[in-house]
Amino acid sequence: MLASDGSDGSEDDWVRRARAGDRKAFSELVRRHQNRVYRYLLRMLGSHDDALELTQDAFIKAWQALPQWQPEAQFRTWLFRIANNTALDALRRRKLVEFVPLEDSFDAPGSEPDPEHQALVTQEVRQLETSLKKLAPEHRQILLLREVEEMSYEEIGCVLSLNEGTVKSRLARARVALIEIRARSRS
Amino acid sequence: MSPAEKCPRTEALSALVDGALVEPARVALDAHVAGCAICAPVLAEFRQLRTTFAALPDVAPGVDFALLVDRRIAAAGVSKPKPKPKPQLRPQRWRWWQLAPAALGGAVSLSLGAYLGSALMLGSQVTAQPAELQMAAFTAIPPGALCPALQACNSMGR
Repeated sequence: MLASDGSDGSEDDWVRRARAGDRKAFSELVRRHQNRVYRYLLRMLGSHDDALELTQDAFIKAWQALPQWQPEAQFRTWLFRIANNTALDALRRRKLVEFVPLEDSFDAPGSEPDPEHQALVTQEVRQLETSLKKLAPEHRQILLLREVEEMSYEEIGCVLSLNEGTVKSRLARARVALIEIRARSRS
Repeated sequence: MSPAEKCPRTEALSALVDGALVEPARVALDAHVAGCAICAPVLAEFRQLRTTFAALPDVAPGVDFALLVDRRIAAAGVSKPKPKPKPQLRPQRWRWWQLAPAALGGAVSLSLGAYLGSALMLGSQVTAQPAELQMAAFTAIPPGALCPALQACNSMGR
């Protein structure tokens, strides 16, 4: 069923309109994906301020690159590809490959001292967040895409420009690396 | 063969957690893990990791990026995404100087050809001998030999 503006309300339709220069359509796309992109960048960079800035940068880049978007590509994976490259550029620029411990730098709004929220956060989860920051970026990104963003191997391959076999093996290595970091932090 | 050598690779266990194994492989791996003291704990660790990831608190930015991004787009004056400029096909202009190297090369080739040709012609004239001298090879006194008597050579024009 078509809306009054002639659109069918699907994501492809919003993208098509945004490609034609419709800023309102692009704003709709930003609203649909902003939380996921922010969450991914926050966990990649470990800083709320950096994630705020880079989320905007990623969307601006997406706006500028919209003419290159291919209709057969999924908008979400295409957008995450831009966000991922933005994160890696920032990590290289700021040399944040080795992260400081979580307790010193994690300033996400979701982890502010809120008694109700704190009660829900288990020791396991805290330890996982700490360990994630110590993980190599290439392992962190693939684990976040799989475990948090729940992307398929094919989608992860699109985001990271990898074939599915490489996604499979890199995911296994990332899991083993994370388990080792957690084991070291426990001992 | 040790039990470890019979064990599947870690990436198969990882794929099992992701539900990325097809039916016969999945069933075989499940059966192996059930009785393997090496693979079972690894699989348990992978599954525990997945459970912990699922428990990660969701984080919200607390800002409307759509508004911020739209302001930045407007401030930058980028009202519409611009397609990549395609290389324009311009009509080729006649540029005589672009042919200069080829013309020079051609002229040099022609001159060289003419020089070599004339040298060959000259060479053939130098080696040409009068017919009677050529025939002298078949006379009793070959060319260059001493005349046994003056009359003998006079008849040959020597």
